[in-house]
This record gives sequence, C-alpha cells and structure tokens, in this order.
Amino acid sequence: MPTDRRSFLMMATVAVAGAGGVRDWAQEAPHGALPVLKGPLPMATPRRMAGLNFGVETFSFHDIPQGDPTQLPRILEHMQQAGIPECEIMSGHVEPFANALTGWWVQTRKTPGFTEAREKAREWRLTVPMDYYVNVRKKFEAVGLRIYYYNINFNETFTDAERDRSFEAAKALGAVAISSSTVISEAQRLVPFAEKHKFAVAMHNHNNLVDPDQFATPESFEKALAMSPYFYVTLDTGHFTAGNNDTLAFLKQYHARITNVHLRDRKKDNGPNRPFGFGDTPIKEILLTIRDNKWPVRCYIEYEYGSFRTSVDEVKACMEYCTNVVVA
Amino acid sequence: MLRLLMGALLCVGACAVAQTAAPAHDAGGYAAPTAKLEHGRKIFVESSCHFCHGVDLTGALMGAADLMHDPLVGADNDGNFIGPVVLAGLPNLQTAMPKFPELTKSDISDLAGYVHYLRQQGRFKELTASTATGDVAAGKTYFAGSGGCSGCHTEADMRAAAKKYDRTSLRAHLLLPTGLAPKDGVANDAGDAAHRKLVENIAPADAANVSAYLETLR
Repeated sequence: MPTDRRSFLMMATVAVAGAGGVRDWAQEAPHGALPVLKGPLPMATPRRMAGLNFGVETFSFHDIPQGDPTQLPRILEHMQQAGIPECEIMSGHVEPFANALTGWWVQTRKTPGFTEAREKAREWRLTVPMDYYVNVRKKFEAVGLRIYYYNINFNETFTDAERDRSFEAAKALGAVAISSSTVISEAQRLVPFAEKHKFAVAMHNHNNLVDPDQFATPESFEKALAMSPYFYVTLDTGHFTAGNNDTLAFLKQYHARITNVHLRDRKKDNGPNRPFGFGDTPIKEILLTIRDNKWPVRCYIEYEYGSFRTSVDEVKACMEYCTNVVVA
Repeated sequence: MLRLLMGALLCVGACAVAQTAAPAHDAGGYAAPTAKLEHGRKIFVESSCHFCHGVDLTGALMGAADLMHDPLVGADNDGNFIGPVVLAGLPNLQTAMPKFPELTKSDISDLAGYVHYLRQQGRFKELTASTATGDVAAGKTYFAGSGGCSGCHTEADMRAAAKKYDRTSLRAHLLLPTGLAPKDGVANDAGDAAHRKLVENIAPADAANVSAYLETLR
C-alpha cells in the first residue's frame, strides 16, 4: 500500500495509463463526439522525427494579433512556412476577442471596461454555433494541418455553461485535449465537465512560486492529477526550470500524465527566455529521454525569446535545434 | 544653366527619396533615430519586453503593465524606477516577469530611454488626436500652477505662439515645441526634456484645458 501521497499518486497514474500500457495520444482518433465530416479525415502527416511528434503553440506567432479570426489564414501560412503540421491553438486565435478579455490575468480584470467586455465574450461563446469551430478545423485540415490541443484558460470568471461550452468547442476543433493555464481551485470546478465529456484537460504551468493556487511546482500538479483521471499536464519546460524545479525528474515521474511539453529555454531563478541552448532548460535531455523511452509525449515549440527576425524564422530555428538533438 | 538644372533635378530626386523611403521595420518595430535609442530597442526586443508590453507599448498582454500610461514609468529618470524592476523581475505576478540581472547600468539607461521614447511617441499621438474642448479657466490655472509652464513661459510668449498656429498645431506645439524626434540621445536640451516629461505625464483633460486657454490669448 502506498505510504505517502506521492506514492499513491504514482499508483493512480499507472492505473490511469491502463492495462494496455501508456496512453498513446499519437494513435488516438479525434474525439468520438466530433461533428461528422464527410469522407476520410485528411489528417496531417505528423512532424515525426526519431519517434517524436513536434508541434507549435500558436502563441509563438507573436505577430498575429489575438481576437481577430480573420488572421487565421496567417496562422496556417506560418505553420506551413515553419514546416510544423500540428498545433496547440490558443483561444485568442480562434475567438473574436483576446485571451486577456476572458479573465485569466487577474490584473486585467481591474481594467476599465473589463466587465462589459467579459460579458460580451461569454455571450459569444454561449451562442456561437459549433459549426464555427468545425469550420476552423476544416481550414486546418484542408491544408494538411491539425489542431491537437485547444488552449483555453479557465478561471473563476467562467460560468458553468461557459466551461461546458469550452469542452464542446475543443471537440469541434478536433483537439484531443484542452491545454489550460489555470489554477488549482479552478481545476476542481472542471472535474465534472471533464468527466461528463470524457475529455482530457492538461494543466499548464507558469513559475509563480508565491501563490499556492498556481501551477508551478510538482506538488501543484499532483493536486490536480489526483482530482480526475481526465486531468493531465502540459509541462512548460521553460517556466518549470525558471521556477527552479527539476524538469527532467518530473518528466520521468509523470510522463504518462503529460500530454505535451512546451519547449522553451529559460534561465533558472525566474531568469529570462533564451534562444534554445542558451538557457538552463535541459531541452536536449528532455527530447532524448522522450525519444529513448518512446513516450507519446508531444513536443511543442513555444518561441518567446526576443528577436528582430520573424516568428516563423525563430520557430524554424527552434525546430532546427531540436532536429539536431534528436537525429544526432 | 545646365549645371543649375542638374542641381535642381538632383535635389528633387533626393527629396523624393527622402519622402518615400519608409523607416526600417522588423519584428521589433521601427528603427530608432539615434544609436543610444537603437541600443535601447535592441535590449527591449532581445529581452522580449515587446511580447508582453507591446512593440509600441500598446496592446499589453498577459497582465503586463501598460507602460504607455503607468505612472512609475512617467516618474522615471534614466532608469531609476525602471531599472530595479527590470533587474529583479516581478516574480509575484500571476505570469511572473523574468529578471534580467545581466544588464549593465548603461544598458538600463538605454532601455529606459527607449521606453520613454516609445511612450512620448504614443502619448503625443493620443493627446494631439483628441478633439475634446477644454476649460479655459482650468487651463489658466494649470499654466500658472501645477503644470509649471509659467516657470519658463510668459503669457506674452504664448500669445505669439497662439497667433502663429491653428488649434491642432497649437496643441502639438505646446506639447513638444521642438518636434517629436529627438536629435541626440533622448532629448535635445533641458527645455525639450521638460516637454518630453510633460507629454509622458500630462492628463488629456489638462492638455485640452491649456490648449483652450492659449487660444484665448490670440
């Protein structure tokens, strides 16, 4: 019998991974409740190298403004130019309002006009036909790209109806999971929705070590993982390193509950983002560990160090770094 | 005669180039007008400040401070307030601001100078775009009191300016008499520096009020 919380959690993790072994996200079909498309699904060929699947968090494309769905073709172009066929798409690139207007950042909630803007966003979410999201998905699929994760940042300004609708939206987009920058208290509210929809939510961390409600440490993730078998982790390797955690050790311990890693290189002790290879994030070791163990953890580039070059150029540079690591 | 004509044509050609050549632009915004400011831009971009605070200080993301209107930036002189925040970061924020301890005093000075430069550009645009009609009495009080204008300017000076410019130009002139672009460093002289500080900090209502007051001096 487990003698402490961590041992218990490890047993639970193994149980969730299932009798058939570790859950292989790469082999999973899009969610069964997807609206039916006629004909075969034109799935993108994954950017699979040495057994690893690479993708991009669309936040990396900093030149594309949020809250303007007419910019969607530019995201497709950027992904094609970078040669990366799958993504975690942020809600601000799908919905007609920026992420900031949906309440994740507490500071933003204090700005004039926030309450009205938030209400409008809620109304839009609750009334937009699901075909809207299906059409977004079709645009990706038409050019051989794929939305793998929907990044929506749940927080206490969401109503239950909005939480429920967000799961529907993720499924309509063809995502296999939601990735969410959220907090532990909000994760508790999500349990019934994840279980109702039988849909995974992966908690994404930052590196705020002061607020115990934030995802920033192994312990904070463990709390969420214990709440529901549908809860997973989007491990932001840069933020985790900046929070002085042992990123590689966490990956080794919890790989079965990690949907994807965000690859970024940061210095320890809340240090800055750096080009790949210049920070303290053990990117090389992370990639090789995933590769050598054949874990189905998807590897997503998140470009956030500054540069005068275009975001596409920098995402390609990050990809090149990863390529050199895994095919060496 | 031919030489004169050639000279005139060359001059016209040069002017056309000067008018049509767009300022250099890249993922970090427009090139800055001086070497010091351009170095500040390099630090601003390579430290990825622009991802959260906006390339031109507009559209702050991720709960980041609105540097265009933040009073701490307005009060800053040569990085004395900006520097400590940049060097130590803000680890308590929901999405923590990273620290940049490797920046030197000179780097901080240039970075702060660039932030002020962006703020002056943005606030100047905001203030001159406003069509609000000001309160004459409040403008007179501001001119003689809290605005500190009367420390350098007399009513007679301002009457001359008021007669020279129309309403829109007068607003622009009272904010930055020497124009928007600094020649050397971040300000041309002490008077220009004072006006740049004014542009960064004056409330839109005060700008409209002073403008209304000056118009009555014509």
